[in-house]
Amino acid sequence: MVKMLKFFLLVFTSFAATIFLSSAPLYAASKKITITGSTTVLPIAQRAAEVYMDIHEDVNVSIRGGGSGVGIAALIDGRADIADASRPIKTKELKTARERGIDPFANVVAKDGIAVVVHSDNPGNALSLETLKRIYTGEINNWKEVGGPSKPIVVISRDFASGTFEVFKKLVLGGAKVKDGALMLASNKAVATTVTTTPDAIGYIGLGYLSDDVKALEMDGVIPTNETVKDGSYKLARPLYMYTNGKPKGLLKSFIDFVLSKEGQRIVKEVGYVPVR
Amino acid sequence: MNLKSLLVVFTLSLLLLTPMVTKCGETKISMTLWNRATVERESGEFTERYFSLGRGYLRIEPKFTDRIKGRFNVDFFSDDDALDGAGLKLKYAYLDFKELIPIPESKVTAGLIKSYFGTIYDWNYITIQKALEDKEKVTSSTDYGMALYGYLPEGYGEYAISVLNGEGYKKTGSDVNLNPAYQANVRLIPIPGVTIGGSVRYEDVSFDPDTSISNLVYAGVGHLAFGPFEVWGEYLVKDLEETKSQGFMVMPIVKLGKLSGVDVDLVGRYDNWDANADVDNDGHSRIIAGFNWNILRDAKGKPQVLLQVNGERTTYEDASKDPVDKLMMQLRWAFSTKIK
Repeated sequence: MVKMLKFFLLVFTSFAATIFLSSAPLYAASKKITITGSTTVLPIAQRAAEVYMDIHEDVNVSIRGGGSGVGIAALIDGRADIADASRPIKTKELKTARERGIDPFANVVAKDGIAVVVHSDNPGNALSLETLKRIYTGEINNWKEVGGPSKPIVVISRDFASGTFEVFKKLVLGGAKVKDGALMLASNKAVATTVTTTPDAIGYIGLGYLSDDVKALEMDGVIPTNETVKDGSYKLARPLYMYTNGKPKGLLKSFIDFVLSKEGQRIVKEVGYVPVR
Repeated sequence: MNLKSLLVVFTLSLLLLTPMVTKCGETKISMTLWNRATVERESGEFTERYFSLGRGYLRIEPKFTDRIKGRFNVDFFSDDDALDGAGLKLKYAYLDFKELIPIPESKVTAGLIKSYFGTIYDWNYITIQKALEDKEKVTSSTDYGMALYGYLPEGYGEYAISVLNGEGYKKTGSDVNLNPAYQANVRLIPIPGVTIGGSVRYEDVSFDPDTSISNLVYAGVGHLAFGPFEVWGEYLVKDLEETKSQGFMVMPIVKLGKLSGVDVDLVGRYDNWDANADVDNDGHSRIIAGFNWNILRDAKGKPQVLLQVNGERTTYEDASKDPVDKLMMQLRWAFSTKIK
């Protein structure tokens, strides 16, 4: 029996030694930043990384999407240095992170406004947040109830997996459920396209997806623009995050500082979001 | 009507009413299978050598709304005593009601629920062996009842209070005493990487309504995590009237994946259990060493295909009993899908 245990220990030790030795070359090429997470933040991360790597040729920035939840899970597991997120970290995620010795730090790199859009032929120009909630929860079903023609409202929403949906649900619905029969679409682009081709539709999209094909409504008297999002007067807005483990240091600080620099914030604006500086 | 009948009526009512008030938003279906090879040796002789399905489970999790979701879990496993060699057990059947009570980040869970005690409720089998309280049959991993579970603000920990049958998931009607078990659990994370906590459970286990037999169980739990290094610790005591059982577990883990390109965790564990503190030669200890090779992970980093290899030696306080050695190799694989 002792022989069997000795054999097992020998195998175990050899295995451990092999792993440690095989890890050595990885330390040599450690100037690498791994970013994972929100597809909303992805265009900022991608463009910023391209420009950053042009300036710092010895640094490799690798980027993946997957969604905010995937990014935060990767930060917690140590598989990512930066988690992109279009929503704040949840308490459950924060608890898991702290348990595993990770201290998520929120770096706000941009803001995004959620524009409520209708077909360009729709005579309406404005809604209140309260009325919008009543439309999305099914309390108001016809445009005539909000001063429009007698036509049923076609409600279009993002699907459950979307960070935009989570923010809309929190800011507009107050946690209430979207009405049964609402069209749940997988992307901003799909919502914009459907509203463009459906005269009685209402939907919501990120500011970056606004075009002349749809009409953006005033919400509580404020029109969604970069300026109204930035000054806080437009309420349907959210910060976009790059989470790091603790306050960023070293290489990560250099990258986050770049995203928050004049050049980085120009990129934020270029890809359709609102700079924070 | 006793408490158990009330719980059954309450749970069934919720299950029947929920689909009437709301349509199901999405349903997650998942399966996990543990294909295991075991070799056991005692007194220099091989006593067991076999392949088996150590465990398999089918889990269905309907999400009715953001605030109401359920979990149904049936376990199946190789079992020589069962018809056609496969056993079956019901493991979870509960509904979660988020913020039913106006406490932020809380939920009420009812049905066949997790037993929020010690390390058992979030035990994810880092070693193939069960959690200490499960292995020594101090508490069951699931039980019928209700719990209020919640997170402390800013990720500082979690808490749970439960009222349970106290008989585990295998019994509901027969050989069950009438008294409920009361359980409380708290985990605090004062600084990232340091978790401390404790659980307490009390039940009058007498079958005779005129007498009382108290069963008090409590546990202290600690967890440290710094970079690739983690260690779990648990101290467990069971006070059943005059009999005191006690023991502890220490489980270090090295996550080599954080140091190298190979996603392997090295694991060790030491258990010590004394069935009766007043009796000599009834204790035993268990030492486990092994590794977990995460061959494939899903998008959120959860292992999808995992190879676990554990060597385990159980030694007995009673010098006349020979140690028992066990070598287990397990291929654990999981998959899931969401239906909207």
